Amino acid sequence: MSEPPGSCPFASRRSLLAGTAALAAAITARRAARAESAPSAEIASAPLVVPFRGPYQSGIITPAQSHTYFAVFDVTAKTRDELVELLRVWTDAAERLTLGKTAAVLDQDLAAPGADSGEALGLGASRLTLTFGFGPGIFAKDGVDRFGLAGQRPAALVDLPRFNGDQLIAAKSGGDLSLQACADDPQIAFHAVRQLARLAYGAAQIRWVQAGFLPRTPPGETPRNLMGFKDGTNNPPIDDAAAMANTIWIGEEGPAWVRGGSYVVVRRIRIALEHWDRKEVDFQEQTMGRHKYSGAPLGGTHEFDPLDLDAKDGDGNPIIAENAHVRLGSAAMNDGARILRRGYAYDDGVNFTAERWPPWRQGIEYDAGLLFIAYQRDPRTGFIRLFENMSKLDALNQFATHTGSAIFVCPPGIQTGEYVGQSLLGT
Amino acid sequence: MPPAYCRRPDPSRGARAALFAGLLTVLPGLAVAGDGYLDGIHHHTTLASTVPDNGDQNPYAIAIAPVSAGKIQKDDVLVDNFNDKNNLQGLGTTIVDYNPTSKNLSLFAALPRHLEACPGGVGLTTAMTMLQSGFVIVGSLPSNDGTTATKGQGCLIVLDAQGKLAGVITSPHINGPWGNMAVIDNGTTAILFVSNTGFGVGAPADETPVIKQASVLRLELSIPPGKPPAVIRETVIASGFGEQADKGVFIIGPTGLALGAGGVLYVSDAIDNRIVAINDAATRSDSAGTGREVSKDGLLKRPLALALAPNGHLLVTNALNGQVVEIDPQSGKQLYAQWIDTDKAQTPPGNGDLFGIAMTPHGEGFYYVEDDMNTLVLAR
Repeated sequence: MSEPPGSCPFASRRSLLAGTAALAAAITARRAARAESAPSAEIASAPLVVPFRGPYQSGIITPAQSHTYFAVFDVTAKTRDELVELLRVWTDAAERLTLGKTAAVLDQDLAAPGADSGEALGLGASRLTLTFGFGPGIFAKDGVDRFGLAGQRPAALVDLPRFNGDQLIAAKSGGDLSLQACADDPQIAFHAVRQLARLAYGAAQIRWVQAGFLPRTPPGETPRNLMGFKDGTNNPPIDDAAAMANTIWIGEEGPAWVRGGSYVVVRRIRIALEHWDRKEVDFQEQTMGRHKYSGAPLGGTHEFDPLDLDAKDGDGNPIIAENAHVRLGSAAMNDGARILRRGYAYDDGVNFTAERWPPWRQGIEYDAGLLFIAYQRDPRTGFIRLFENMSKLDALNQFATHTGSAIFVCPPGIQTGEYVGQSLLGT
Repeated sequence: MPPAYCRRPDPSRGARAALFAGLLTVLPGLAVAGDGYLDGIHHHTTLASTVPDNGDQNPYAIAIAPVSAGKIQKDDVLVDNFNDKNNLQGLGTTIVDYNPTSKNLSLFAALPRHLEACPGGVGLTTAMTMLQSGFVIVGSLPSNDGTTATKGQGCLIVLDAQGKLAGVITSPHINGPWGNMAVIDNGTTAILFVSNTGFGVGAPADETPVIKQASVLRLELSIPPGKPPAVIRETVIASGFGEQADKGVFIIGPTGLALGAGGVLYVSDAIDNRIVAINDAATRSDSAGTGREVSKDGLLKRPLALALAPNGHLLVTNALNGQVVEIDPQSGKQLYAQWIDTDKAQTPPGNGDLFGIAMTPHGEGFYYVEDDMNTLVLAR
């Protein structure tokens, strides 16, 4: 099977097989769509479809697509029934969209608003995934249990503590519902969020969004972030079901409705690229604890060489510095804590900023960096455990500022006939 | 100026030593290795993050507790913060307490942003000391937006040993109490020396003028048993130092004060890049102007806080690189510059990172803060 333009550069064999099966389903869907007498361009040629339904939500261990459009909503629905209706409508539309279809069947009545805004007509699915999460505000907001769900809030869905150095912008933080749209075409990801936002009018309001992108890295290689380093080398293997069960999927420790789900922590991290670009490459490497070009840990040769945190140089100093990013983030330094990072670079142009490190440079600088997205079984032993220490001591903190933050619990996969979150709201 | 020799002084310091080889620079022809204090300093250990739960940043002053009182144990290290959690300068309101025995850092005091008696509010500066009576006195040079455009006159804040507000000292002679304090503490009386860098200072600009109005004020205190210190006399003993509003570093002015032998008070004159001496500091009744120049330029790169080492030499932190400079105040010779903060995230390494410095109780080493990582470090 040839890869369509813009497809995931790191798709595993497993995902391609899944894609093949999905392709057949999509073709069937395309035929069905034609039978609905919708415009013939509803599905483009050669779509790659990631199954929307299954035991787990897609978009978590799905090999990362090249683009994301991450949207967070505040729920304005007044009743539980209205919330359920929103999720039903979203589920139907999301399933269609992930098949490369329009959000709803297009009507021939041109005197009415279209059922789909149309910018993805003919583009196909491009491995679109839509991953849903519930924020703390679903369970209770400002002390009010709006939907009778307060008792269902998992203990692990904690409010993130304030971390050292946080410069959080309220308008880029928090929220009740998360919608992570990922696709190998940025317009398809944007389109999907746009359709669901339209369908939410009166029930949910967009709070913040963040677009992100990944480079088209050759298959099997780890993508580089905007700092020029490979990012994600130490991730747990997504094709190892046991590892995923141990680190990503919520198990028996959680309430029944959330088992098979996962917690996602999202952080918008602005990186002072102008500051970084002025630094010597070897200093950048010492800050990271990895070689820039090979991705190997300092002291190693190959990217996937194990981290040797005990290695010392001739003077007895650690090869990987005590405040190096890779050391402080390693499982070995954090009681085995692991998370699945699924982040994207972001670029929001330039604006005025005052760097928060000596010598406190001020001026027009890139508002660019990392949209950090991490999935885990329990944020208390995952992101919080890891970042509590890193936020204080990581040498990389001199270049990175967290400006947005949110946490959500992603319910388990959507089974046939179900709507997203039915295990929570259907009881 | 090329270094005469350099070496890695610090194998125990871990990351920093591994990352950035520390340098010990000796001025050619001025000293022989081995007769200085810095020559014996080989280890730098990061002790703690100085950031309290409210997120305050930018550690400035260091004061060593002379006694145990209230929440404080003798030899504890008090550190205050000049910036708030948004890293706005002149908005920090906290003092943390590091205990060298337990190695724990705790919050000693969290002041409100605004105190009615303190003009402009609270932004804690490098002026801080703890007295034998258990009271802590700390300077405030406040801002509302992180720049001197909104600076207030400030004050000296008196805290009891529980970290509770016990009083506020203001006067026409106090405006932007800034530099690290020198103290003569007799228990029921004390003499404080504090520099003031706020007189006539306005908003920062691209070419902000230097104003020659900074001063050193002597405050004579009476401390009745169980009562907070009261000012019984104020004397401006030095004046006319340069001060300058700055977009990046808030304000530049005289920052370091240290009492030496013979009643001499040494002052770091940041604008003129020199160390000066004020004779008869504890007794004089008039201003010595900007005093007598002891040492200028050379290894000094905008000198900040001062400490007096056991050998009678001055230790000076540089603002514009990560070096501490050792000076023999008798001869005025600059003996060494040791690169104690070698963080290459700044250029030159450590630029802007250093501020406060204080000797350990027995003088075998010194504490300093690193503003790049918001940490307290021990050198010994």
